[in-house]
Amino acid sequence: MLSSISGIHRHIRNTFNALLSKIFKKKPDMKLGLYGPVNAGKTTLANRICLDWLGEELGKASVIPHETREIQIKEKVTMNHNGKSLNFNLVDTPGIATKIDFEDFLKYGMKKKESKQRAKEATKGVIESIKWLDKMDLVLVVIDSTQDPINQVNITLLGNLDARKTPVIIVGNKIDLKKSNLKRVREAFPQYEVIGISAKNDKNMKELYAQLFKKL
Amino acid sequence: MIRIKLKIKFIPYEKTCNDNFKDLLKDLQKDTIILIDAKLKPEQEAELIKKTMEKVSEKFSGIELSSIDISPEKDSTLFEKLRGFVFQLTTGKRRGMTVIGPAHIITKIEKNPEELMLYV
Ligand SMILES: Nc1nc2c(ncn2[C@@H]2O[C@H](COP(=O)(O)OP(=O)(O)OP(=O)(O)O)[C@@H](O)[C@H]2O)c(=O)[nH]1
Ligand SMILES: [Mg+2]
Repeated sequence: MLSSISGIHRHIRNTFNALLSKIFKKKPDMKLGLYGPVNAGKTTLANRICLDWLGEELGKASVIPHETREIQIKEKVTMNHNGKSLNFNLVDTPGIATKIDFEDFLKYGMKKKESKQRAKEATKGVIESIKWLDKMDLVLVVIDSTQDPINQVNITLLGNLDARKTPVIIVGNKIDLKKSNLKRVREAFPQYEVIGISAKNDKNMKELYAQLFKKL
Repeated sequence: MIRIKLKIKFIPYEKTCNDNFKDLLKDLQKDTIILIDAKLKPEQEAELIKKTMEKVSEKFSGIELSSIDISPEKDSTLFEKLRGFVFQLTTGKRRGMTVIGPAHIITKIEKNPEELMLYV
């Protein structure tokens, strides 16, 4: 008896939610993707967003490149801003690269066998990231603002998102570092919104959230 | 004095599209630098990266690529713009060029925007 009442209750709620999302023309499973070159800070940013809105982290960040080698999804993240709320699934992707040399991992004290395995997984991760581009409703292209923004990964990424008409915000990460140069990022991609943040030190996240609300 | 020999091979744009980068990747694995007479479309660049990742091994770590883009919008005079549009319309190519090198030979390519600097 009790369970059937809660079942009916759930049914009504689900119908109501479906109706609401139809009215507002919002897909219930909207995907917000974090894309960018290796080590830019995508997972650190994903963790920051999840900590801010869910109180838990999403994945492991690391100085060693290609730490994320599989797509990671945190479902049903809800953000609130000025009385409005935003629902989406947060998708952290493996960093995209045009080359992966297993010997690079040896420098971090990894064994040869482990390095080769990591390289293999990393190549698969890059392919997955590219395949998933089609599924995204909004993408944050995360760039390490201490590095030259005109690199082929950024160019290919932005070009593909542009061809798909996917809305993009460029996130210039690591502004806490002395070498950070946001001006250079803005000059490289003048047609894009560029928000400077430090995902690690929790700097300027409010501005990024405000921009997200503007885009969606 | 150390002399370094570099092999550069020209592959016409049409050919790279037709075989989905198959021959091109074979050449790259044989220490050859590739020059293409057009800028690749973003989708083709993504496809090339995917195909490269499938080929990465202990001996072949991947590629460095960069392109010079002479898009019609960027041309200075009206005549140049028009010529660029007509070229793109009639050939389906984007005016410009693409350089692709094996990553174990070319460690970095800097783009400047009308010059490419290859680091060996
Ligand atoms: N100083 C500074 N370091 C940061 C910041 N964000 C991330 N990092 C560091 O950058 C390194 C890479 O961070 P990740 O979040 O793992 O980067 P990623 O983009 O997810 O990397 P992959 O998954 O390997 O592609 C780690 O050592 C982080 O601590 C930042 O805002 N400032
Ligand atoms: Mg990561």
